[in-house]
Amino acid sequence: MSATEIVFNDVSKFYGEVLGVNRVDLRIPPGITSLVGPNGSGKTTLMNLMAGLVHANNGTLRVRGISPRNPGELMKILGYATQYDAAPRGSTGFDFVLAGLLLHGYSKPDAEKRAWAALERVSLTQAGNRKVAAYSKGMRQRVRLAQAIAHDPLVLILDEPLNGLDPLVRAETIALFREYAAGGRHVILSSHVLQEVDVFSDQVILIANGMIVAEGQIRNVREEMTEHPSQYLLQCRDAARVASLLFGETHVVEAKIDADGKTLLVMTKNRDAFSASLQQIALSGEEIESVLAADENVDALYEYLIGGRK
Amino acid sequence: MSVWAQIWTIARLELFRVFFSKRSFWVYGLALFPVVIFTGHAIDSKFRQQRWGEGSRITPVMMDSFREGATGEEILEKAGTPQRDRKWTRRQRRDEDDEGPDRRRFMTFFDGKRQAQLNFSDGKLTSVRISPLLNFEEDRKIFAGVFQYFYLRLGIFFGCLGIFINLFRGEMLDCSLHYWFLAPVKREVLLMGKYLAGLIAAASIFTAGAALCFGALLFPHESGEVAAYLNSVGYEHLAWYALAAALGCVGYGSVFLAAGLLLRNPIVPAVVLLLWEASNSFLPDILQKLSVLHYLQSVCPVPAPMNSNAPALLRMLLSPAAPSSVWVAIAGLLGVTALVLFAASQAVRRLEINYGTE
Amino acid sequence: MAVYKRGYQRYAGDRTGYLQRLLVLPRFAWRRLLDQKLVTSLLMLSLFWPLLCILFIYLANHSELWAGFAGGFKRILSVNGKFFAVFMNVQSVFALILSAVVGPGLVAPDLANNALPLYFSRPLSLRDYIAARMLVLAGMLSLVTIIPGLLLMAIQGGMAGWGWLWDNGRLFWGVVIGFAIWIVILSLVAMTCSAYVKWRAVAGGLVLAFFFVVGGAAEMVNAVFRVDWASMFNPGFAIEAVWMEFLGVELPPEKPGAYECALSLGAMCTGLLWILTRKLRPVEVVK
Repeated sequence: MSATEIVFNDVSKFYGEVLGVNRVDLRIPPGITSLVGPNGSGKTTLMNLMAGLVHANNGTLRVRGISPRNPGELMKILGYATQYDAAPRGSTGFDFVLAGLLLHGYSKPDAEKRAWAALERVSLTQAGNRKVAAYSKGMRQRVRLAQAIAHDPLVLILDEPLNGLDPLVRAETIALFREYAAGGRHVILSSHVLQEVDVFSDQVILIANGMIVAEGQIRNVREEMTEHPSQYLLQCRDAARVASLLFGETHVVEAKIDADGKTLLVMTKNRDAFSASLQQIALSGEEIESVLAADENVDALYEYLIGGRK
Repeated sequence: MSVWAQIWTIARLELFRVFFSKRSFWVYGLALFPVVIFTGHAIDSKFRQQRWGEGSRITPVMMDSFREGATGEEILEKAGTPQRDRKWTRRQRRDEDDEGPDRRRFMTFFDGKRQAQLNFSDGKLTSVRISPLLNFEEDRKIFAGVFQYFYLRLGIFFGCLGIFINLFRGEMLDCSLHYWFLAPVKREVLLMGKYLAGLIAAASIFTAGAALCFGALLFPHESGEVAAYLNSVGYEHLAWYALAAALGCVGYGSVFLAAGLLLRNPIVPAVVLLLWEASNSFLPDILQKLSVLHYLQSVCPVPAPMNSNAPALLRMLLSPAAPSSVWVAIAGLLGVTALVLFAASQAVRRLEINYGTE
Repeated sequence: MAVYKRGYQRYAGDRTGYLQRLLVLPRFAWRRLLDQKLVTSLLMLSLFWPLLCILFIYLANHSELWAGFAGGFKRILSVNGKFFAVFMNVQSVFALILSAVVGPGLVAPDLANNALPLYFSRPLSLRDYIAARMLVLAGMLSLVTIIPGLLLMAIQGGMAGWGWLWDNGRLFWGVVIGFAIWIVILSLVAMTCSAYVKWRAVAGGLVLAFFFVVGGAAEMVNAVFRVDWASMFNPGFAIEAVWMEFLGVELPPEKPGAYECALSLGAMCTGLLWILTRKLRPVEVVK
């Protein structure tokens, strides 16, 4: 078993007769991994399985070589900010983070220092002594994140971590994820804000109806999808001319010219051939200002892979 | 971090919440209500002692010499002025053979320790009731009854239900149990930590309640009598009562902790246990030994009196089990607790976080 | 004209009556409750004692079956006030357990999930809400109290002749009114406990604790102060005293009478209702 990867081996989880996830085979390397899927697709179940909050009915699972059934060892390297919007009754933000650290075995002065440091990283220092129950949604989200990162884990799991955050804190939080992942750690998160995931994820796992639909880097995933033509948006001086040249190629299935006469949307079955054709057209003297892949983001992937299953 | 240090850390984190959460305030009420009643009784006795002491007194020999059939005047001539003397007339006679109104009289005399209540009918003494102002032995028996019927069967039972069910099931309902599960401790260690917190809280509250109640029991009685009792068996009794209360928390606590893990609705185990404990004395010996109450009653130093006039609902609860020897009882109770905690540890290992089903 | 004025049309069709609207809550609650295995098992279990009572009535009305036994047997085998008092005592325990299981699930989740504003934004007042929730309990508890009681009456009437019913009208009213009072008390305790703690799991325990602990506390006062009057604060004793009066069975003379007990139960119900109305407020408290 790999000591640097998270490995799912034929893992299934059922809640009675309800399917959680079914026969999942995954290897998640360090870096930022986003779990994307519609509500009820099994994202939280996957995360809970990794953290040992639920147990698999079938298959085996190892988080950096440790079984989730061994919380004594696993939780030393794992931090999890769950979706449950509750904290122990009556605790302040500081108490909440501190309690977790004391359970990790830090001495009280050490734990206090780390708790304040974690609160500072999520910009909650000022509200640290206020009761969690009085926090706004965004603050509760951040205090959960603080609790998850306070002990500096190797695997950070975050269930919808950007929900309820204002743009500034959102940017800071994403920077935090990047910093974490850069150190060879795992950052695994789920999100419904697809554009954000698209921006900072190293890889994406698309999940629908409890099954893994696609995994890998967004671009690689897109390339493997041959049944859906790729879309490109071209900005050129003479869109009609470029369109007529492209129509001569067998891999181009559709081209649309915008009303301004300068924007062209092209659909192709072969990305490499399209690239070569475009190069030839440019060399022939046609002025092409920009080429943009229109469907390489997670939204498009989501729509292609999961849209029909919703 | 050693296992013991982990258990203690968990217990420390949980203790504050168990002691001071609003949800557990009623447990203090359960533990302290008998203290209030015994204190009220002590104050009442002191006042009566003072009030009666201010009035006239007769000698104990004189008090014992009152005989039925004597007239009111003869009594007054012999004993002097009574503390109370009340006359009235009953229009309806109990005995229908007699005619005319029934002239009644009621007198009380006090000899410094006892009160005599004399009832007259048509001028003749019909009944004499001599009762001590304070009866230490009777009070001790009443305390034994209160301890076994109220503290053990009701106070500690329902108190532990509230405290120990809250430890896991309560956190599931609050959607906060996963924070404990995300700590780097084994689930069994977590269970022991939480159990220890509940136990410390419940045992402190109920042993303190029982000790205060014991103090209130002693308060109105003569210091000599109290000193003699304490020097003979009093402290020993107090220690056994405190031990029984603590053991009650050990036993019921483990049962309700396990129930909170195994079952979603704690009413089911509460009802089953209540009926089980109540019907225990009718069961075969081997099954009797699976009851917490059986062992607790064996630890109590004074057997509780049985009130035959108690209503049906309470009578159902008042059937005493045959006692075991004290050390067997303690060992048995700890054995039952260990067994229950083992079952709970198995359950907590399998427990999953799925708040949606709560 | 504003757009909403042109677009909005108030519903002008027929609407159901008040009672039908009120019964919406109980109808759904009953269906949900009867789907629960625990509730149906309890209901089944609570019919065991009435079955034994039916056997008793059969034996009492067929003297030929015990003709060889001593005369004392005839005195024991008679269907009178004492028989119904015992029947009511046993069934009241089942009713108590059922109310502890069923009651907390009716109010506590509404409060815990801030659902009261949703109810009260409909044409439903606080009084209606309490009445509807009490109806749920009344319906469930009747299944183990009044209905088996009436069944026993009918069987006894059928076997002993309908004249028996006419001669023992007091027993009929005793069973119906006595159980109705018990149902009201149980419903109020169950609803108040669940409104007070807002936590279904603990509320059930609190319902049991209310009856057992208050009863135990009253008997403790009696024992410590060497008095008898505190029994009227014991709900178990107090309701028994009221039943005995209805059924014409004698009470122990030293204990408080039926009227004192009825007064104490009335005060208890008023207190419970006061707490309930204070706790059931359609506001969301954010601390």
